[in-house]
Amino acid sequence: MLDRTANPLRERLLESERLMEETGCYDGITELTLRRQDPLKFETLHTKLRAYCVSAREMARRISASPGVREVGEMVVAIYTPEGDAIALSNGIMVHVHTMSRFIKWMIKNGYEENPCIRDGDIFANNDAFIGTVQVPDVMDVVPIFYEGTLVGWAGAVCHELEAGGITPGGDVCLAQERFTEGLFVCAEKVGENDEIRRDYVIRCERNLRMPIYWVLDEKAKVAACIDMRESVKQLISEVGLEYWQRLAKEFIEEGRRAQLARTRQLTVPGIYRGHTFYGHVTEGKPGFQPLGPPNWLYNIPIEMEIKSDGKIRMDFDGTQPWGYHSMNCTPAGMDGGMFVTLTQHMNFEGLVNDGAWMATEINIPHGTWTNPDNEMAATATSWALLLPAYGVFQRLLSRGFIARGFVEEAFVGQVNSPMIEMGGTSQYGTQFGMAHFECAAAGSGALAIKDGLDTAYVGWNPESDMGNIEIWEQNMPMVYIGRSIVPNSGGAGKYRGGCAFASTWLINKTEHLRLVTSEHSSRVFDNGGLCGGYPAPTCEKHHAVRGSDIFEKAAKGEALAHTPGTDPLVSDFERRYKGEQVFEEGPYITKPHKSGDIFSHAYNGGGGFGDVLERDPVKTAWDVENGFLTREAAEQVFGIILKDDAEGYPLADIDATVARRAEMRKARLARAIPVSEWIAREATRVKKQDFALEVTRMYRSAMQLSPRFTREFKDFWGLDADYAFAGEK
Amino acid sequence: MSAYSKETIRELVDGTLPWPQTRRIMSAYKDDDRFAKYISVLQDRVAWEDPILLPVGDRLFICDSAEGRVTRCECGHSFGDYRKNWKLNAVISVRNTQESLREIYPNSDLPDPEWMEIREFFCPQCAHLHEVEAAAPGYPIVHDFQPDLEGFYRDWLGTPLKETA
Repeated sequence: MLDRTANPLRERLLESERLMEETGCYDGITELTLRRQDPLKFETLHTKLRAYCVSAREMARRISASPGVREVGEMVVAIYTPEGDAIALSNGIMVHVHTMSRFIKWMIKNGYEENPCIRDGDIFANNDAFIGTVQVPDVMDVVPIFYEGTLVGWAGAVCHELEAGGITPGGDVCLAQERFTEGLFVCAEKVGENDEIRRDYVIRCERNLRMPIYWVLDEKAKVAACIDMRESVKQLISEVGLEYWQRLAKEFIEEGRRAQLARTRQLTVPGIYRGHTFYGHVTEGKPGFQPLGPPNWLYNIPIEMEIKSDGKIRMDFDGTQPWGYHSMNCTPAGMDGGMFVTLTQHMNFEGLVNDGAWMATEINIPHGTWTNPDNEMAATATSWALLLPAYGVFQRLLSRGFIARGFVEEAFVGQVNSPMIEMGGTSQYGTQFGMAHFECAAAGSGALAIKDGLDTAYVGWNPESDMGNIEIWEQNMPMVYIGRSIVPNSGGAGKYRGGCAFASTWLINKTEHLRLVTSEHSSRVFDNGGLCGGYPAPTCEKHHAVRGSDIFEKAAKGEALAHTPGTDPLVSDFERRYKGEQVFEEGPYITKPHKSGDIFSHAYNGGGGFGDVLERDPVKTAWDVENGFLTREAAEQVFGIILKDDAEGYPLADIDATVARRAEMRKARLARAIPVSEWIAREATRVKKQDFALEVTRMYRSAMQLSPRFTREFKDFWGLDADYAFAGEK
Repeated sequence: MSAYSKETIRELVDGTLPWPQTRRIMSAYKDDDRFAKYISVLQDRVAWEDPILLPVGDRLFICDSAEGRVTRCECGHSFGDYRKNWKLNAVISVRNTQESLREIYPNSDLPDPEWMEIREFFCPQCAHLHEVEAAAPGYPIVHDFQPDLEGFYRDWLGTPLKETA
């Protein structure tokens, strides 16, 4: 085994990779010797490391000034080996445990030991997704851990910054079409020495961000967390000895790898699983979008997952779309991270998780697609827009395996996009400001195979979801809430419905210049799905604003106000109640600034449903209607559940009428349906004629250009000639 | 290691187990005999005798039958050889108009039917809705799951399946 104290880091890293290749085990650790010798000590030390991480993160959250970190926990910390593999991690935005690993490895591979040198007390920062993060607001800091002159590991921390200084305010800069408009980049830079952040770095932040206090105080919070973990690890090494630590760290990771394989064999069934989702985005005619590519996009995201006999999971994105001049591209680091965060919450929920879990998986992200752009100038500011739908499919594929194996309590229809609202301009205090509003971290979840999804309580990127307190958000922006409420019927229908979303309605207040921008909107197509007969949750809602409303006059007279857009799809309560210019906007909200007296409403997304709608419990549905999760109309029309009123006027399930209604609906289903073979014959004619919308044709043409397999499967399915091709655009 | 009664597993599968108990099962180490009890619970639920080999959906199973290993609806309808996509032998209803989409989404904004349709796959015998696909027009029907049935029984369960005719 390589001398771990004398050789340069780069050699150590290469040696570690070679040993993994040769032995199939992490760093050549074929035996968990320390675990065998004293399992209690082994587990205790792992728990200690995890406690260091959790404690450091909680401490750092109290240093941060950002409501994103303080309120909704947009932060994660981890401890790494010298080669950059995660040993232990905290809760929080765990996607970045593995993206930070890529950052450390990138520095090692790029000769940072020689220049700018890696010394005790150094602080390195990065938010370049092609080096190792997901998007520009995810800024990571790492510090090396030296013990008696030897590099023994790294401590790292990530916060999602609420403002990144891009072309539009916030961090998920939807208007960015290339890297150059995404905001302030810190590309694997040494930003501090001797445990102190450099003044020139702080000045750069102060002069390039709309709201530098968030970024700069978060830097301090992260550095504090890193130093805290570093000192704890050094104390631990002084207790167990350096040699023991070096072996221990490696065994933890190899144990994590083996645990992941064992867990897959325990919970699933080997085989091939397939699924897909889509994303439809509209920017045509919106101000600011440069004509670099098509204004409207339809992306297909097909995923094939293989569970192999040894328990290894292989994900394949072959057949998906090329990267584009939009902000939704993703880098390999982001794709890795998405898989890591999904695995940690969906399979490795015992806490003993680290980069070993990642090593028990494989991923094929074809070069040139949005998953792995062949141009590093591609923007990734809103890569979650495609990542979340993609890893929602992954959750449904895994869930099919859980259902097959009998672990129905773990089956979960999965994560969804949760559109973000960001803002900037003049604050209610008369100062410049910029902020991402993170209440989106509380969407509806997909249903489970045994119960409804979580209402307003889940997002894929942070399993500790939280919408934050209204009062805290109001302190930080020139808008006050006039409503925050459940959106009825926003969960996908099914035997178990998806979790419902909520919508917020704000009154713009005490400002004459407020830019509002939103992102992650798939308005034209579903970007989520149901499972086993459940329907997808609705597509992303359009925005509704009232410019120059008469709300102040109404309030002065004590008249009733509208607090939500309501449930009538044709006429909203805002139109009924408020005078002013009624504005409806599809997709990202890119428009002229708002001012005091305007009203703005923004809805988040619900999750997909599970099982046949006609099996939904009528009694539970009555409760849903009473509490605003479903409307009476949906109960009858979608679920076939007839409700009557009890003596006090509350909804009560009419079981006999429901049975009769459902019998009728089943008959209607069969009367309307046709054999699939008949449908295929009819649709094949349409496919041969290429009778599709422009965006659909473009999607097929792009997929076929990039993927021989997609082309072959498409032609085989529809019985097309070998020379069939989608015509080029005029 | 955890172990639960067949009755507990039955209630869990039916979604009737009280939440505190369900929560404890979710938090505990998994029970090694789950698959056998699960299959037994499902076998009790169906009216037919052929042995269930593997569930592949909520009410959809691979079973051993006189016609070989087939995918079968809980009602007894057979969708044919388990290695082929059962959806191809289902009946389908497609929602690709605003009106038909509005029936499922009464209040919300709708997808553009030119960009996306909803495909409902029903059992032709009992009209159970087994799967819903949301796909662009012209997108091939997905074969959701091709289990390695032989390998699963042989290598993971340690009880190889009997040869089929």
